[in-house]
Amino acid sequence: MPESTTQRITSVGIDIGTTTTQLVISQLTIENTASGALVPRVEITDKEVIHRSQIYFTPLIDRDLINAVAVSKIVETEYQAAGLTPEMIDTGAVIITGETAKKENAKAIIDALAGFAGDFVVATAGANLEAIFAGKGSGASLYSAQRHQVVVNIDVGGGTSNYAIFHEGKAVDSSCINVGGHLIEFERQGDRVTYISEPAKIALQSTGQRLRVGERVTLSQFRPIVKAMAACVVGVLKSSIHSGLTKELLMTPPLQLDHQIRKVMISGGVADYVYASNEPTTMAEVTVFGDFGPLLGWELKVSLEAAGFVLEKPNETVRATVIGTGTQSVNLSGSTIHLQETTLPLRNVMVISPFTSVIPDTPQRIAEVVKNEVLRFQVDHTEGVVAIAMKGPRTMSFADINILAQGILLGLEDYLCKDKPLILVIEADCGKVLGQCINASANRPLEVVCIDQLEVENCDYIDIGKPLMGGRVVPVVLKTLVFNR
Amino acid sequence: MAVANNELEKVIIQSVMEELARKGLLSQKGKDHVMAAAMMDTPIIPNTESEEMVTFPPLEEMQISNPFNADAVKTMMGSTPARIGIGRAGARPKTMSLLRFLADHAVAQDAVFLDVSEEFLQRMNLMSVQSAATSKDEFLQRPDLGRRLSAEAAKTIADKCEKNVQVQILIVDGLSSTAIEANIPDLLPALMQGLKSAGIKVGAPFFVKYGRVWVQDHVASIINTDVIISLIGERPGLGTAESLSAYMIYRPDENTVEADRTVISNIHKGGIPSAEAGAHLTDVIKQILAAKASGVKLNQQK
Repeated sequence: MPESTTQRITSVGIDIGTTTTQLVISQLTIENTASGALVPRVEITDKEVIHRSQIYFTPLIDRDLINAVAVSKIVETEYQAAGLTPEMIDTGAVIITGETAKKENAKAIIDALAGFAGDFVVATAGANLEAIFAGKGSGASLYSAQRHQVVVNIDVGGGTSNYAIFHEGKAVDSSCINVGGHLIEFERQGDRVTYISEPAKIALQSTGQRLRVGERVTLSQFRPIVKAMAACVVGVLKSSIHSGLTKELLMTPPLQLDHQIRKVMISGGVADYVYASNEPTTMAEVTVFGDFGPLLGWELKVSLEAAGFVLEKPNETVRATVIGTGTQSVNLSGSTIHLQETTLPLRNVMVISPFTSVIPDTPQRIAEVVKNEVLRFQVDHTEGVVAIAMKGPRTMSFADINILAQGILLGLEDYLCKDKPLILVIEADCGKVLGQCINASANRPLEVVCIDQLEVENCDYIDIGKPLMGGRVVPVVLKTLVFNR
Repeated sequence: MAVANNELEKVIIQSVMEELARKGLLSQKGKDHVMAAAMMDTPIIPNTESEEMVTFPPLEEMQISNPFNADAVKTMMGSTPARIGIGRAGARPKTMSLLRFLADHAVAQDAVFLDVSEEFLQRMNLMSVQSAATSKDEFLQRPDLGRRLSAEAAKTIADKCEKNVQVQILIVDGLSSTAIEANIPDLLPALMQGLKSAGIKVGAPFFVKYGRVWVQDHVASIINTDVIISLIGERPGLGTAESLSAYMIYRPDENTVEADRTVISNIHKGGIPSAEAGAHLTDVIKQILAAKASGVKLNQQK
């Protein structure tokens, strides 16, 4: 088995947001970092962004529908600019975020990008995932790990503000509120309102302001609305119980706030105005991009500082999400895994976590649980490929691993009859031995993919790529397909 | 020890104790104990017969009294088994840190000086032979004797072991009997299952007492095996006494050097788990068999 100690893969990240569409191409270096006498430990050791696209306004057909063909044109143009062809892309993700994260859009974009985005590019969306990618792209995740301080990253875009709290490099909490700089549109560098979105109408109502499309507005008339929106964004950091406007604008459950927060990082299109040294003094300065991002940025800074938060500068502002998507969406499995190479890649594998607490102690009882959960899934969904996920065997003893293998085989008897591959995702470091036990216990050759040291949740969807490093690891992308939720 | 029988001395002790108790530096119980001692005319002889067990606080518990950034200390402690974040009492370690150090040192010594139990060998169904060392002391003082079999062992192996196999597994106590008892019950069945699934012919594993790595060369010369693998207890450290190594070699002979051996080390519950190690070793053995080489020669072929 030939194996090199390093391998480079090219990853693309495409972020299609309410206001802007961007793309970055990065090169990830994968390396075996363990010394010769140890079991291999394959890790991503370097992430280098090799191409940053222009920032495009998201092409729209109408207010809600993305022009997928125009998006694919953007991708094509940017590949050419980077000197790459789709075949040269190994992995990555498309993330559809904010107001555009709608079912119809996701499908159209996946279809339009099918030929462009390489063999292993996936569509992901969802406010929580976006928040986490943004925080990883902005440097908040790294900051929390290096300084050992809890930090919250708020990605403030055109339509939404996405929170992700990082503790020692890991995202521990996330949320999303419907506040963004593009919720009210203006004539560029003017003071005439051209569009008011639904969430903005709610904000107007709650502040008692009247504003209609076509009307002109002064800075002093407009400021209270933006102040109210900024207060909502800051309010989510202060308490986990909300009322009034904040409650109405929250799009996900609020932050749990289990960790005390002092440090705040802002990324997204509005971020540059949070860190600006001067506040916008005229409506023309506010509406320089046809929205009110500059004013929202300034008011956010005022609000945050008044509430006692300390603002930290991110490494990336407007490109944080796309960089996070391109460089952080790929996870590597553990380095001792069991798989049949021909089975891969696999896409849109639904994860079932049959065991809620302790794994039963006999193969029969394990089988019963597995069987019921798979049946339940097949009633709800079409007969797709599923992955069985769990933390680990009862104990790491060979006997318990063997019992688990037998139980899984027994429980999946009907499922495996249909010639589907057996996919297991396990958190504990025992993927190889579990796969071996399954093959040894099976009465016929099975296609088994057993990967370890990955955390997945029930009902996640995963893509498993072709093995890297001479079969040592597989890239796994976790995703939440908006049209399946 | 001279005991305070002078009245003035008693008064001084009493006021110091009360002051310490008032500042919260001494518990009421501690104060009473010292006062009682101070009032006595004969010394207290500590009871060394006490069977009382000392319970250590959890290893991951941070012992620094007023950390500037507790999260940072916890993360650093999580990144290493070294004794950091243990605080201090003046310039010295805290009592618990010192006791833990002594306890870990005792565990390491036990790992070296204890033997793998007869009961364990029976339970694992392992035949036992002995190196040329006749005792633990001799084994520790004469590394050369641990590297070859006793005449009796050589005869036993010649009589009882299957010859001309592809793989022979040895379990060798080396410098940690604890590592053998901790890892072999999960590693050996996983390794045997993996080799069997791959259709590889394996001789019955057996145990070598007072053995070192090189004893595998002597065994291989008797039973004519392609690959011989020794699962041997590593020299224990203060971090763990349960770490096991696997040394593998393809057809050793008189020209064999250390670089010809392939080694996988750090098999224990804090390193690579035993059962997973068994499955991984199966792969390594398959590579050695396919390449007809081990050690540096194997790596050069990759």
